[in-house]
Amino acid sequence: MKNRLFFLLWIVIGGSIPSLFAQTPSCSLTLSGKVVDASTGEALPQATLFFRGATSTSTQSNASGQFSIGHLCAGNYTVEISHVDCAPVKILVQLAKSDETLLIRLPHRFNELEEVQVVGQRSASTLIIREELRGKRIEETRGLSLGEALRQVNGVQVLQTGSTIFKPVIHGLHSQRVLMLNNGVRLEGQQWGSEHAPEIDPFTADRFTVLKGAGALRYGSDAIAGAILAEPAPMPNDGRLSGRAHLGYFTNNRQDVAHLTLQQQLAKLPAWSWRVQGTYKRGGNTKTPRYWLYNSGLEEADLAVTLAYRKARYRSEWYASLVNTTLGLFTGAHIGNLTDLQTAIQADKPVQNIDRFSYTIDRPRQEVRHMLLKWKQTFLLPNHQRIVTTLSHQENIRKEFDRALLTNRPELDLSIGTTMLDASWEQVHTDPTATTAGISITRQENVWSGSRFFIPNFVSWNVAAYAMERYAKGRWSLEGGLRYDQRFQEVFRNNNGAITSSKQRFGNLSTLGAAQYRWNTNWQLSANMALAWRAPQINELFVNGLHHGTSNFEIGDPNLRSERAWNNNIQVQYQSDSTWTFDLTVYHNRIYDFINLIPVLPPTLTIRGAYPTFRFIQTDAALTGVDLQATRWIGPRFQAGMKGSFLFARDRRLGDWLQQMPAHRVEAEWSWYWGKQVDAQTRYLRLSVPYVFEQTQVPTSLQDYLPPPPAYALVNLNFATPLQIWKQSFTFGVTVYNLLNERYRDYMNRFRYFNDEVGRNIHVRLTYKF
Amino acid sequence: MQPFLFRSAAFLGITSLLWVGCKKADNPNNETEHESINKVELTFRQGAITAGVFVVEDADGDGGNPPSRIDTIRLNPSQAYTVDTKVFTISAGTTRDITPTILAQGTVHEFYYLPTGVSLTIAKTDRDANNFPLGLASTWTSGGAGSGSVQVKLMHKPLLKGPNDAPTVGHSDIEIAMPVKIQ
Repeated sequence: MKNRLFFLLWIVIGGSIPSLFAQTPSCSLTLSGKVVDASTGEALPQATLFFRGATSTSTQSNASGQFSIGHLCAGNYTVEISHVDCAPVKILVQLAKSDETLLIRLPHRFNELEEVQVVGQRSASTLIIREELRGKRIEETRGLSLGEALRQVNGVQVLQTGSTIFKPVIHGLHSQRVLMLNNGVRLEGQQWGSEHAPEIDPFTADRFTVLKGAGALRYGSDAIAGAILAEPAPMPNDGRLSGRAHLGYFTNNRQDVAHLTLQQQLAKLPAWSWRVQGTYKRGGNTKTPRYWLYNSGLEEADLAVTLAYRKARYRSEWYASLVNTTLGLFTGAHIGNLTDLQTAIQADKPVQNIDRFSYTIDRPRQEVRHMLLKWKQTFLLPNHQRIVTTLSHQENIRKEFDRALLTNRPELDLSIGTTMLDASWEQVHTDPTATTAGISITRQENVWSGSRFFIPNFVSWNVAAYAMERYAKGRWSLEGGLRYDQRFQEVFRNNNGAITSSKQRFGNLSTLGAAQYRWNTNWQLSANMALAWRAPQINELFVNGLHHGTSNFEIGDPNLRSERAWNNNIQVQYQSDSTWTFDLTVYHNRIYDFINLIPVLPPTLTIRGAYPTFRFIQTDAALTGVDLQATRWIGPRFQAGMKGSFLFARDRRLGDWLQQMPAHRVEAEWSWYWGKQVDAQTRYLRLSVPYVFEQTQVPTSLQDYLPPPPAYALVNLNFATPLQIWKQSFTFGVTVYNLLNERYRDYMNRFRYFNDEVGRNIHVRLTYKF
Repeated sequence: MQPFLFRSAAFLGITSLLWVGCKKADNPNNETEHESINKVELTFRQGAITAGVFVVEDADGDGGNPPSRIDTIRLNPSQAYTVDTKVFTISAGTTRDITPTILAQGTVHEFYYLPTGVSLTIAKTDRDANNFPLGLASTWTSGGAGSGSVQVKLMHKPLLKGPNDAPTVGHSDIEIAMPVKIQ
């Protein structure tokens, strides 16, 4: 009740303050300023400034980067600044009196043809509904895992296993239904496991793009829910040694984070550039408001090396990365049989726990190593055509250590290798159309060892061809795409020395159709529809055994068919003249033969007691939802915002709700900026209050051990400021999570049966960019 | 440029091939091999005389078929027995006694014998290195005739084991109810 009141209060405050700031118009004001390169401070001539607001007008900066614009009315303006060499920047200005001056810093990003074309290609995919995490929002998340960081994106939630393992959930779906691209390569590990976190070092990414809904045909057909793109910054091109150093500390689990990026374009061989990135993290036990969680630490060491060769007509890029993680799993949540489970659930505080801090990571734990090698070539051909080939190999080694009994071997030991070749032909910048066509070949081989069988060995091949076309004319943009996949899979079993193999083949067509209509400068409407499919994965088909970390018996079904999705999205975007932004996305995702893991009776009886048992079955699912976002500037320094995501997930065959779906969630934010201009370097303070509803949409036909936890609201604070130390620029930031040390549990945490969520956590970070 | 490209292609190709070559998906491990306790044996003695050996066995390990053998413990009324508990792993047809492993890991293990519906008094007689009860050796004293069951539990409790733990502390390495008949 208290929480609901809070929510209401926020609506009232957010809605009423703006009227206090009403303006009287006067149209004789002048605004002047200077446009500079953010990294070097050099003046940028011929930058275009486009003003939208009480008056709409535009101007260009002169040879010394200066500009001046007169006859402006008082009021709020959105100023879009673009420059050939830089990424465009949008800032908000409240103009009240004349002779205001602005210093505009543009991040120096692009100055080569290729990068411009990359932008062209990127915009070719924009008809799929997307959201980005970048700039100060991504900086705030430095040190967090990928899943935790992506929580910032509206419509993305997480499936958690304790305090260390986070899996992104897009519109209610996760694991294999969400595709992840690490630097242009599909991440291939044991991503089927709901407690297998993505093996990506978020520090290597300059931005994350979330594509919501199916239709990312270029990357695969199975991304029924969407795709997450981790995109690195462009390679350096200024001839000097540059990079960033980052240090961070989290108070709750006493976690240290250190990251270093070094990069340079070779002065003597300007075609060549390199980049080395290293990250190290170590954290101990986490603390809930009332107790420590024993064995919930983590340790991670990552390394990535990029080497690039760029000439006018040919580009080559070599990339190698290694992610090395050890994750502890809270001992009190690592239950055994049903009796142990009951004991754990009924306890007020976890029983199997040592209530103190430690960095020790004992059993149960996961040790995961992921290696990626990539070689990308780009051949630039006449008439804006190009051919891009990417050859990659990934090796994922996952060891899961249960309770040691007889030996020190891991219970689960899986090693999966994936070799991929992608080749595409693209024609961009030929108005009004842009065309892409390509093929993709993947070979994957999985081998298990370890002391317990869980999923079998297999070799699979996936061969795909795709073509996409984009057409833009006037206010309309249209996009269409087709992709055909063939998947062959051979599984090898050994039952007491008798080796058998079985083959399976899946084939299907995926399509995308999208349209965008730009009403005027304020309103834009997008709609897309996609047909996608996903072949049943190895665990869904053949799993048979005790799943570490969940203490469930999981039983696959070799007769599963591919699931087919019919995915629909409509998005309305509105941007008023500088004060309001509004974004509404409505989606309806129908999945036929949806593969679902559901509990079955009787429990599996073993000498260790009875264990809960789950089977993969197929049903028809309908996921309908709304993502909503609005921001409002109240003066040039204060911004209020809200976002909400609402999901209704039905099992259509049973006429019931689907289990383990994220509850509705809303979040309110109030930001205060120091300074006239809002960009990555502005000092700011932001208060955010996420409110998560109680999940009432739970299946009535399935019994849960505990009902979903009650709704909760948290208070988070974010602060960041630029600092000058010895004439060097630093950024200092502090984030306080769960400021009020609220005791709560979340439905999407698989450990919610056993322990409370993390208590107050203060994250301090210092970044030095040079 | 060309020789370099060729070399890097060769490098990538060879490393990929090496990895692919190392894997042996077509030579899988034996799925029936596992490391779990799947046989428990209770030997009842009166002095030098063996009064009975009772066994629980789940040959295919966790999952698959339920335990294939659960003996009924048959005892005489008003008698005292010394009981030795042994545990085994049966994997790919081979039985291995792992009682010494449990003994060696005594400080993180403890047996519990919990009778229900039958008059039985059970006391653990052995101790681990920390002088806490272990339960591989015990004495069972029967009361009057009747039938019920005894729950045999082996609790695994790294870091948690104390001198007087409730049978719920830790995780169950064994939890099986054996029928008991005193007649």
